[in-house]
Amino acid sequence: MRTPKARGTPIDDGRIRSWLDRLDGYRVAVTDDRVRTWFNNFRGQDTDLGARVLDAVTFLKAEDMEAALRDMVGRLPGWHKSVARRQGEWRFVAFSISAGESGDSMLHRSRTALGLTGSQYDGLFIHKADLLRAGLGTDDNVVFFDDFAGTGQQACRAWRGDPETQITGLAELLPGNPKTYLILVAAGQRAVKRIAQETGLQVVARHVLRPGDDIFSGDCHHFTQPEKDGLLAYCRRADRRHPQGYGDCGFVIVLSHRTPNNSIPVLHANHQRWRGLFPRH
Amino acid sequence: MTKRSRALVPDPVGVKTLRTDQLQPNPYNPRMLFDKAPLKTLEESIKRVGILVPLTVYQRRSDRQFIILDGQRRWMCAQKLQMPTVPVNQVAEPSLVQNIVTMFQIHKLREDWELMPTALKLELLMKEMNEKSERKLSELTGLDVAVVTRCRKLLSFSKKFQDMMLEPDAEKRVKADFFIELYPFLHDRVVAKMPGYSRTTLTRKMLDKYQNPNGGIKAVTDFRKAKQHIANARKARKLSALSPKLKEFVEKIDLTPDHLLIPAADVSAQARSLYSKVQKLQEELTGLDVEGYVGEEELWSALESLLRSIRKCLGAAGRRIKE
Repeated sequence: MRTPKARGTPIDDGRIRSWLDRLDGYRVAVTDDRVRTWFNNFRGQDTDLGARVLDAVTFLKAEDMEAALRDMVGRLPGWHKSVARRQGEWRFVAFSISAGESGDSMLHRSRTALGLTGSQYDGLFIHKADLLRAGLGTDDNVVFFDDFAGTGQQACRAWRGDPETQITGLAELLPGNPKTYLILVAAGQRAVKRIAQETGLQVVARHVLRPGDDIFSGDCHHFTQPEKDGLLAYCRRADRRHPQGYGDCGFVIVLSHRTPNNSIPVLHANHQRWRGLFPRH
Repeated sequence: MTKRSRALVPDPVGVKTLRTDQLQPNPYNPRMLFDKAPLKTLEESIKRVGILVPLTVYQRRSDRQFIILDGQRRWMCAQKLQMPTVPVNQVAEPSLVQNIVTMFQIHKLREDWELMPTALKLELLMKEMNEKSERKLSELTGLDVAVVTRCRKLLSFSKKFQDMMLEPDAEKRVKADFFIELYPFLHDRVVAKMPGYSRTTLTRKMLDKYQNPNGGIKAVTDFRKAKQHIANARKARKLSALSPKLKEFVEKIDLTPDHLLIPAADVSAQARSLYSKVQKLQEELTGLDVEGYVGEEELWSALESLLRSIRKCLGAAGRRIKE
């Protein structure tokens, strides 16, 4: 979380301009009009709170994510762009696959960022449904890509399967026990720990969000308790079911292609009662 | 035991006792998750009398780990009961094919579970054994021939679509039933020959129609209706009238299968008439005092013949006949 400006800093054209510059590149353009509309969600005396929340937002642009992906994959032991210098077989797979969603998007970004767009690298990028057939063994490597993990619940379910929704897990598609990595642009510390404990995935995350990144936690010192209470009331208006974000994460992070649902809803909820600045859809 | 089936059984090594924590579940097990209720019953039995039937295990050459071939539920109970050791029958490390076949044979398929993971194992088996016959695959795996057929239909779709069936999030996952129902529609020769539409494009468009709240495909069974309208048009030699309608149906997301109806080719009126006759007959049969008709040989022969006709019709329509 970024340190917000001092309380009472005027919300003038200069401050708005700095937000527009910093938040440029979101899937729904952040414009002067939209920022002002977003402030209309707050009562007059609370606009300062809204402004400081906006100051605190960590915004990851497409180029930030590509640099992070390049760096994280580059550091994986045994990986090299050249086949001759690579150790074992390597496969890159989207972790979540719904068209245009996070895993798909990250896989595409990684391919570009790693300079692996040539057709000679096609074999590296496979589908989950190819994994079993790929016959990978203990010397081989599978790198899964996703953008964000808030609580780790989804990743754990994806790994081991879920009797409630009657699906078997990824582990079942990797019988040869290859090394498996989950590359994430950002993740909650809780998620990283849980995934490491409950799955065979080694998590590599560029930004790890710590307890202080939960805006409502006692570890977050940028906002006073009355400010947190006031913000929570607005969050309830934005999303009654998950006022602190999914999994009560309380994050204020936005990725340029989509805001995680673990971020607080005043940022992304978008309906009649609340006009969000970073709508997810 | 035939020569071929003997070759699919791993050779025995010996009986011994191993530490419970030395064992690992078999990654080829098509049943890695288990219902809690039956496990509890087994756990209570093991608590009372111990493990009576040794687990079957092999030692994996690559990392010397002991892998369970048979007895994963017993092992899970032993873990829960904190039993330090378990009795095992060790066998030689099976080949890939032996392992998959053994797993299929030991663990009954969970029919209500998503079929795609099973289909992928079957695909691997087909590749390793170079075996395509559904009957032989059914014998090898213990899967019903109809299940093998369904798996093969799923495998005919591209990996991108197969991934959609593996999605862990139930809300985003596309059920196998969608693709199984779509299959005959895509393979109808009129649909398959639509100029400018690849199978992937058609699948994508049908998926959009199904997933969009305003889409014209409301239920996976709608594809049967679409196929029926096409078949009726073909029989009535009205394909030239159908052709533009089919293109519109594919392109316009909100059009339902009824858009393909050619009034002159409609057989639904006949179907409705037959339906009411079937219902009437069923009512009479349900109320039949069987004892009073035991000697009516002609009636029973007619009913047997009717049953054969019904089975034949259902089979030809690709319906699953539940016993």
